[in-house]
Amino acid sequence: MTRPQGWLALILALAIGSLLVLRSLPLSLGLDLRGGSQLTLLVKPAGDITKVESKQLEAVKEVLERRVNGLGVSEASVTTSGSDRIVVQLPGVQDPRRAAEVLGTTARLEFRAQKPETQQELSNLTRLKRLIVARQEQMAGRSQPPAGEEAPDVSGPLTDLLKQQGIEVPANASEDEQLEALLVETERRITPLFGEPELTGSDLVDAGRQQQQGSQSWEVTLRFSQAGGEKFADLTKSIAGTNRLLGIMLDGRSISEASVGPQFATAGITGGAATITGRFSADEARDLEVQLRGGALPLPVEIIENRSVGPTLGAQNIRNSLIAAGSGTALVGVFMVIIYRLPGAVALLALLLYSLFNLALYALIPVTLTLPGIAGFILSVGMAVDANILIFERSKEELRDGNTLFRSVDTGFSRAFSSIFDGHLTTLISCAALGWLGSGLVRGFAVTLAIGVLLSLFTALTCTRTLMRLALSYPALRKPSLFLAASSQP
Amino acid sequence: MTSSSGAILREPRLRINRHRRLCLSITAVLVALSVLGLVLSWLSPIKAPLKPGLDFTGGTSIQVERNCGERCSELSVQQVQEALPSAAVVQLLDDGQAVSVRSSALSPAESGAFVDALEQVAGPLIATDTQINTIGPVLGKQLLTSSVLALTVSFAAVALYISARYARLYAALALLALAHDVLITSGLFAWLGLLAGVEVNSLFAVALLTLAGYSVNDTVVVFDRIREQQRLLPELSVEEQVDRAVDGTLTRSIYTSLSTEIPILALILFGGESLQWFAVALFVGIAVGAWSSVAVVPPLLPLMGGKLPQRAATSGVTA
Repeated sequence: MTRPQGWLALILALAIGSLLVLRSLPLSLGLDLRGGSQLTLLVKPAGDITKVESKQLEAVKEVLERRVNGLGVSEASVTTSGSDRIVVQLPGVQDPRRAAEVLGTTARLEFRAQKPETQQELSNLTRLKRLIVARQEQMAGRSQPPAGEEAPDVSGPLTDLLKQQGIEVPANASEDEQLEALLVETERRITPLFGEPELTGSDLVDAGRQQQQGSQSWEVTLRFSQAGGEKFADLTKSIAGTNRLLGIMLDGRSISEASVGPQFATAGITGGAATITGRFSADEARDLEVQLRGGALPLPVEIIENRSVGPTLGAQNIRNSLIAAGSGTALVGVFMVIIYRLPGAVALLALLLYSLFNLALYALIPVTLTLPGIAGFILSVGMAVDANILIFERSKEELRDGNTLFRSVDTGFSRAFSSIFDGHLTTLISCAALGWLGSGLVRGFAVTLAIGVLLSLFTALTCTRTLMRLALSYPALRKPSLFLAASSQP
Repeated sequence: MTSSSGAILREPRLRINRHRRLCLSITAVLVALSVLGLVLSWLSPIKAPLKPGLDFTGGTSIQVERNCGERCSELSVQQVQEALPSAAVVQLLDDGQAVSVRSSALSPAESGAFVDALEQVAGPLIATDTQINTIGPVLGKQLLTSSVLALTVSFAAVALYISARYARLYAALALLALAHDVLITSGLFAWLGLLAGVEVNSLFAVALLTLAGYSVNDTVVVFDRIREQQRLLPELSVEEQVDRAVDGTLTRSIYTSLSTEIPILALILFGGESLQWFAVALFVGIAVGAWSSVAVVPPLLPLMGGKLPQRAATSGVTA
């Protein structure tokens, strides 16, 4: 450290560099500051798989990424966390209901042929299903009962039906909820009447949706791959003209049953395309389209955490923490100047540089700033000041013992070093433990604190020192009274 | 050695070991009060040493702001409860301007239905101010184990570091100080939980973990001074060396604590609700940490020996 000019140039260059970085790279803010929803999904082992491995986690993540893209949320992110978690961040989304629906379901699409000798059982169940759907549509005001046909009344016998089928619904469930529970159960029961899946969602190359003609319902269109088209032709050929139906199952629920006319008995339905007509609303059709395009999840997932913060609340959090950080730094500065005078002012300048470098590093790395992260920063300001206090106290002691200014300042730095070093290192050890073992919020805190502590080592030992030397090069500033309060002068 | 002989020969203004009895008595009272709080909390309906918040128990919390212009219409807790699809704990905040709902863990669809129900009964709501948090029960348990693990690992790592740089006794005392700081901060929150219903969340865990680092930092500065004294004045008694070390670092300890407490105070005052209790935990912890590094560890050190091995005494890092 013989050439303070060199250090001064370096510090200036870093300060200018930091300003440039901050001008061109925006700080990335966490959802708690900008508003949005964060969903944590737990990937669950199923079937033969007893433990989720990283390969499977990646596969699930890829599917989720495609689905998130399909949702059209800008700047959304999908990241894995731990061995079996996936964190989906949706900035700006306040009501994550739809996202949860689209992301949380497996969407395993299957085409199956009806088993022989199940006609009677199936027609009972499909009749029940039709009644439920008709009632649902009527309640939603989506359709008028077809002319000539009575509106099916399931409201009266609904409770009986539920009891008959052994379905339990919450005591205070509305009719809507009761109907939905009954529908799900009915569709589940239809599935075993069909054989093994002969064609699945992995045979698709694309999916789309369109409004059904003359209706408010929507249908989902499918386009098969080459192999899928052939399988579909074979499947439809095998049941064409018989009274066996073609079933389309989604996650174990039969969403559509269709007959295949005798004209397809020779070649089956060719062309590699199919349409699922059902009772989809516009939203449901869009969601299914997104799911089918993204592919089925290789393993089921469960949403275990949901944090949603409205955007104005986020803005308020930013304002609060800015005020806290600003007033905290300013007050510490005042404190330092009162206690240490000239060195205090130097420390304040070093503190400002420290904050600037910190922010620039956040933008460069980049560190996503969250509330706990800001708390980590504010705490690290305290620690950065501590380093200066250690140095100045030592300098003061030397000065009191009658040493020269230059000598006192220099000795202050060298003698404070070992305690600054030990203190910072132990804090870093804690940060490492937190960042390594903690999750989410805890890690954000550990990262900003660790960056702060490392930077503070640099600013205390170089910035403060260089600035002090610079100050001492002006004879006017070389007065002991600027360093010591009058009472403690020797 | 520089010209600091003057400093060494000067009589210390404060001899901490002369006040050993007082210091340790105050500490004993504080520790006893904290343990009492934790035990009472365990025996109370809380059934845990600290009142666990959503992050640890799992569940859903929803908070909505009402958009009611001049004045909010009358709203009772019962009205809200009746409107909700399932049982929940309802609280009215800010003179009925905000409603907070706490229930068992809900799926996003279910919590959406809750918000819809709230809109019906308490609306119109400021949609951009709605906050929903759902923590699955698995996650809560995991947070607890990972926090305890992180704390243990950082204890162990710090102990190793101090053993290597100083001596095993010093490591033991630093850990004792650390345990003291964590215990008293927890004790305060046990009392706050009992008397004011304050809950601890993951940020509280973060605060304790931070204190672990900070408290050791504080203690190490005193150790560093003791090491220096032993190197410069080996002929003095350990008690004398410790007294001089504490005296030499006292101003620094006070100023440092103040300068750290100032930003935290700003956090308490302006940081908003979410960081408030976190900041309180840090504030108290740092104050207690300063106390333990000045008034708990130094009086104990001479009682237990406290001479550093020659190797450690000369291994201080210098710039």
